[in-house]
Amino acid sequence: MPIDVSPFTSMLMDQAQLVALAFMAVVYALKVRWLLRFRAPVERTPARGNEARGVRYAMATIAMPWELPSTRVHWLRWVEFAVFHVGIAAAIGLTFVMPYWPHLAGARPVVLAFQLVFGAATLAALSRLWRRVARPELRLITSPDDVFSLALLAAWLVAGILAAPQRSEPSLVMFFGLTAFFLVYVPFSKISHYVYWPFIRYYVGRHLGHRGAYPTKTVPRHA
Amino acid sequence: MTSAADPSGTISIDTFVEGFHEKLTRQAVLSFASCVHCGLCTDSCHYYLATGDPAMAPAHKVDQVRKLFKAEVDWLGRLAPWWVGGRSVTSESQLRELQDVVFGSCTACRRCTFSCPFGVDTGLLIRLARGLLTAQGIAPAGVLAVSKDQWETGNQMAISQQDYLETLEWLQDELRGETGDPEASIPIDKPNADVVFVVNPREIKYAPLSLLAAAKIFHAAGENWTMPSVGWDNTNFGLFSGDDALGAHMGKLAYDQVIRLGGRKMVVSECGHGFRATKWEAPNWAGMDLPFPIESFLETMVEYVNTGRIALDPSRNPKPVTYHDPCNLARSGGITEEPRFLLKHACLDFREMTPNRQENFCCSGGGGAMSMSEYTQRRLKVARVKADQITATGATAVATACHNCVDGLTDLIKHYKLKVPVRNVCEYVGDALVVERPHVAGLDMMPASVRGRTVLVVDDDPDTVVYLTALLEDHGLRTVRARNGSEGLQAARQERPDAITLDIAMPGRSGIDVFTRLRSNRELASIPVIIVTGAIEFRELVYHRNVPPPDGYVEKPVRPELLLMSVRKVLELRHRAAAPPAGDGR
Repeated sequence: MPIDVSPFTSMLMDQAQLVALAFMAVVYALKVRWLLRFRAPVERTPARGNEARGVRYAMATIAMPWELPSTRVHWLRWVEFAVFHVGIAAAIGLTFVMPYWPHLAGARPVVLAFQLVFGAATLAALSRLWRRVARPELRLITSPDDVFSLALLAAWLVAGILAAPQRSEPSLVMFFGLTAFFLVYVPFSKISHYVYWPFIRYYVGRHLGHRGAYPTKTVPRHA
Repeated sequence: MTSAADPSGTISIDTFVEGFHEKLTRQAVLSFASCVHCGLCTDSCHYYLATGDPAMAPAHKVDQVRKLFKAEVDWLGRLAPWWVGGRSVTSESQLRELQDVVFGSCTACRRCTFSCPFGVDTGLLIRLARGLLTAQGIAPAGVLAVSKDQWETGNQMAISQQDYLETLEWLQDELRGETGDPEASIPIDKPNADVVFVVNPREIKYAPLSLLAAAKIFHAAGENWTMPSVGWDNTNFGLFSGDDALGAHMGKLAYDQVIRLGGRKMVVSECGHGFRATKWEAPNWAGMDLPFPIESFLETMVEYVNTGRIALDPSRNPKPVTYHDPCNLARSGGITEEPRFLLKHACLDFREMTPNRQENFCCSGGGGAMSMSEYTQRRLKVARVKADQITATGATAVATACHNCVDGLTDLIKHYKLKVPVRNVCEYVGDALVVERPHVAGLDMMPASVRGRTVLVVDDDPDTVVYLTALLEDHGLRTVRARNGSEGLQAARQERPDAITLDIAMPGRSGIDVFTRLRSNRELASIPVIIVTGAIEFRELVYHRNVPPPDGYVEKPVRPELLLMSVRKVLELRHRAAAPPAGDGR
């Protein structure tokens, strides 16, 4: 069962998170406003394909690794992507559960499930970090922000493993401290790519769907 | 004439950076901002696959442009650029380095875009950078030369209207000979035609067989078609150079003709970038809502087959044929099934290339690469990927639907010694046409008007000289031989031949040197020169334009009908130019 925590930890788990979350929401709102201020070119040509179908396809490819040549060949990388992002989503979920409905994550099987997911996601993060060091083509494009973001996410997931049982106050402080930091840092870092994702997939899908190039008609005959 | 290039010729870093801000669209910003450097695009790129060079990974190449975005636009990057990999442009040398990346290391084929989980549009970002560099006059010489010609003459090969019309007239005679129909025509400026056909200047200058095939198909289908006397070039170097103003100018030139003639639709001949630019890009660049539809000739031919307007006999093309998808048709144009439909109807043994359609690899000559002789060796090196693809099909012939791809594939086939000919889809369709009228005159026939004319054959290979002279003499021409460049120049001065066939790769004085000297000599400059070579350096003569380009081009190993057709074309056009003018009622 969850432990009783000090007023400081309680504030960190609740009010501090809400403030950080509000900050993040404001920055994202400003960011979306900033993005929409760049002109979207006017399409004057009549469509050859179907824009709506193109957009649906573009959005759906995230769950269809066989559709992109890259994830079809490197399917393990897609699995790694899925595990990593499921872990992050679970950790985000836990940051809401623990302060307000701690009993929902109190049962041992639930705790173990969270720990398992966080552990797998941590391994995925470490694998990604290792690849950035080991693969020359990734080393060449890796910025300090790329490494920092991955390392901090890995640390956050480890903190999640430790905090999930809700029995150690230091681990809760570490987990929620990192969460608050992330909420402030993420909108400025590469991690905010998820905010761009629906926009870019929408435009790519509409653009290629308009021309009839999406959905692709490729008939692969190779691995 | 207006051009985005700075007329003063000076390079301004401030203008470059200001231009960057002005060119940022929402899609470009998203493509800059979304990349997470996952590297999944890496092995989608033929440059990387062929070289294994990490710097050739698409993410790294586009990062050379993204650096500027990070330093100038990204919120965190403006405070701490080093943290996010940002770096602004501060020197001309950086721009020169950028030229090597965006022109010399990427054909903007967009294959990586289809591999990217986000859909980062590398082609869009590369073109954006190309446009900024071109505006500063920093671009490969061939790109600048061809762009200038498009601005000034309305076509990329600076073909005069007289040459264009005379070539069409000559082709019309060929069409009549081919079809046996004395009424067969290539109409010029016919009002209210159902089809206004625009072509690649290469078809006028060097590859009349594809235009002849198209004319045969239109004739067989009984099409009410025409070609415009101006604004006939469907190619658009604005797409390659990133110069939207040129892109709009070229598009508008062609659109205005369809409107002027009251045409029902515009049909674009088999040219990948020409189709993309004309149908998809230029209306947006020009801000025009077109009152007529635009389609690829591939679509037109499919309609003819489906409606029974033409019938095809696949046994006329018995050899195994594979198809190379031009990037601008498949990935940027959505055309993948039409050429397959046609080839399956026109050939007995069609073999799919792997991967294919939107996943097919670039021919390596796209994005204007054929005009960038600075990067020829790199282009041929990375073409290994396409060479391997072709070899794996086991096909003995390649079809494609793009003249640029024909050139790119021809070069790589020569380089990798694959020995498979490349032709456009319409040529296969033209060969497979079931026509009622018999074939009357062959392409290799030499008319009386040019028999007895003198052709100087310049080649260092004795066997080639014997072969070419025997071929020409068998068809009623007189020949003079020269075994090297110096002899060739001397013979040209002494004999004043009616035409010259010239090899490029010769010891001592090269064919390029000989050609340049011929063109620079006032007395010899008008002698038509047909380049007969296996050397890829020929492209320099076509694109760099220090002197007017050659009048013909025949690949080695020589296909006799192509050589004879090229020789006949230049001799007949020369003969017509010398003869008193006579109207033909067109």
